[in-house]
Amino acid sequence: MSRQPTIPLTPVSRRGLLGALVAGAGALAAASVQASIPAATGKSNESIDVLTPEEALAAYEAEIARLRAANINGTPVDLLERMRTDLLRALTKPVNERRWVMVIDLRACVGCHGCTIACVAENKLPPGVVYRPVLEEEIGRYPNVSRRFIPRPCMQCDNPPCTSVCPVSATYTNEHGVVAVDYEQCIGCRACIAACPYGARTFDFGYTYTANTTTSGVMFGAEQAVSYEQVSTFEYGKLHARHDAHDSPVGNVRKCHFCMHRVLNGELPACVTTCIGRATFFGDANDPESLVSELIAKPNVMRLKEELGTEPRVYYLQ
Amino acid sequence: MLKRLLYVVGSLGLLIGMWGLYDRFVYGHMNANYGSYVVWGLWVALYMFFAGVATGGFMLATLDLLFELPLFRGSGRMALWGSLVTLPAGLAAIGLDLGHMTRIWKVYLQPNFGAVMAQLVWGYTIFLIIIIVSLWLSFRPQPSRWLKPIMVVGLVLAIFLSGGIGALLGVNQNRVSWHVSNLPAQFPVFNLTSGVALMLIAIGWFGPVHDPRRSQQLHVLGLGLVVLLLVKGYYLWTDVSQALYQNSSHGAEAINLVLFGPYGWAFWLLQIGLGMLLPLIVLTTPIRNNGFAAGLMGVCVLLGLAVARANIIFPALSLPELRGLGEAFHGPHLSFTYSPSLMEWAVTAGIVGAATIGFVIGADRLPLFSRPVKSAGAAD
Ligand code: SF4
Ligand code: SF4
Repeated sequence: MSRQPTIPLTPVSRRGLLGALVAGAGALAAASVQASIPAATGKSNESIDVLTPEEALAAYEAEIARLRAANINGTPVDLLERMRTDLLRALTKPVNERRWVMVIDLRACVGCHGCTIACVAENKLPPGVVYRPVLEEEIGRYPNVSRRFIPRPCMQCDNPPCTSVCPVSATYTNEHGVVAVDYEQCIGCRACIAACPYGARTFDFGYTYTANTTTSGVMFGAEQAVSYEQVSTFEYGKLHARHDAHDSPVGNVRKCHFCMHRVLNGELPACVTTCIGRATFFGDANDPESLVSELIAKPNVMRLKEELGTEPRVYYLQ
Repeated sequence: MLKRLLYVVGSLGLLIGMWGLYDRFVYGHMNANYGSYVVWGLWVALYMFFAGVATGGFMLATLDLLFELPLFRGSGRMALWGSLVTLPAGLAAIGLDLGHMTRIWKVYLQPNFGAVMAQLVWGYTIFLIIIIVSLWLSFRPQPSRWLKPIMVVGLVLAIFLSGGIGALLGVNQNRVSWHVSNLPAQFPVFNLTSGVALMLIAIGWFGPVHDPRRSQQLHVLGLGLVVLLLVKGYYLWTDVSQALYQNSSHGAEAINLVLFGPYGWAFWLLQIGLGMLLPLIVLTTPIRNNGFAAGLMGVCVLLGLAVARANIIFPALSLPELRGLGEAFHGPHLSFTYSPSLMEWAVTAGIVGAATIGFVIGADRLPLFSRPVKSAGAAD
């Protein structure tokens, strides 16, 4: 890496941002789209490109310049914009100096399940596979009743009980601190599912929404739907087409991976961008300037089942 | 007559199993009822059961081939044969349970030895080789000096592999009812129990009727089984009482499911009634010296043990890790309730059928009891 980012983020207004968004999709979008489109047509298991630190720095500086230009009266930036610049700044650092975490504000989650569906769409999850369900909890008794919604991605535990039980090391913590599954290595024994205290892993049984279903023959537009279902995902930075009902990722265990294929291209995880309640945050906890660093220093922060010593990277604000 | 009946039952099982296998290979795991929450089902229970019988059978074989107890002289080969037919049955069950069976070679060539499952795959493979070699050596006309050392290694492996199955479950600290340190300690006792039950069947149903030691063998095995059943019952009591004492933990929920859940009847009727109480009664009365009754009690104990394997696995997995997980997202195989599908039962019938036929063929056609071929078994 040749240069460090030098421009601090200055708050801008939402109105200014809207204009800036139209005007300057810029280096960031170009870089990520360039990275993924050629790969989408390639053959399975090919790797996709990611931003280099230099590209990340250029994108970061362009973004900051755009936000500055859009800054009209100094009102705070939208949290999504802040997280995107945090993200780009993190990408300029060496991989081992980043610490990706997710923060979920339980008071802000409205239980729309939008993140669940965004994740399904992003990762083209088949029926029965879910990475981020939203758990619903009813608290109190009538007339003093309230509801709480708990989105539950993989916790990307720093001390994951799911990896040590894998007989073939198919699941492991990768260099980004994300617990990954190597689809080509996984034998589908499901020991890791049994070991996860959060129920964060599901098994791909080979279902499709349209192909080979009883109604696909009479369904209007079934062909397009089938081809959409077979388009590759970019999980773990690789192409995984789901063409064959007997080949990976069918027969494998699947889980949330913090959308690393997006993150490394300067994009926030799909669930973060879709959250209408601004209840999900993502970023580099090693960066004291980042939004997530601020949030996880709050006294109302907690992690699920902390007593197990799994050291989750997903924090909840309650 | 009995042998013929077993051949028929076994063949029927095999036939049903064919359909199950067809379904399994064409549709993969789609028609199974285990899922992403209850991840291990009937086949994993079957694997644990058969692996238990195999290790238990080997333990019993050492009475003859290692310790040379005069009472059991000549019974070692039969016990080894029992191990030889049940271990592949267990391995077939667990193999079919894998999402990618064809990648099993990875466990041999790219293993993570820190994982209990990898240790078990390697361990059981070595164990299978040991069974084959010791059986072969035991058939040699001249006694081999290698037999005893091999039996020693096999015995140690049998104990550790039995415990390993307990450890496979026990290492999961998130499953309170599994994560108890004595689970790996209990399994060798369970497996020894299955070994003794197997030998009761072998000697009671297929042993040489004119052997003067036969009734003595049945007597000792019967009493041994009584002791083991009492120890097993005591373990069960400690598990249940510890979990229910506060009646608040995940462990208590799992035990409550076992005792009073939808399959409570299987626990009370099959595991306790048929698998423990009936054999305890029969084996403490003179009826135990009757070959047929003794063998039947062996079958009952095995049946109880098979149900116990299921009762260790399913309830612990039927409890959501987080409240509301089962309702949060809907789709195929996302359920915390489990009952095996027809396909799972069919495959199970096939595996049990194959093991039964294999066992009976050995008893019927091979000189496993070192007796003249003409001296027919008690049951015929
Ligand atoms: S949440 Fe579960 S799957 Fe994710 S890292 Fe932790 S133990 Fe593994
Ligand atoms: S299912 Fe796959 S990733 Fe999970 S433990 Fe088994 S081999 Fe490893």
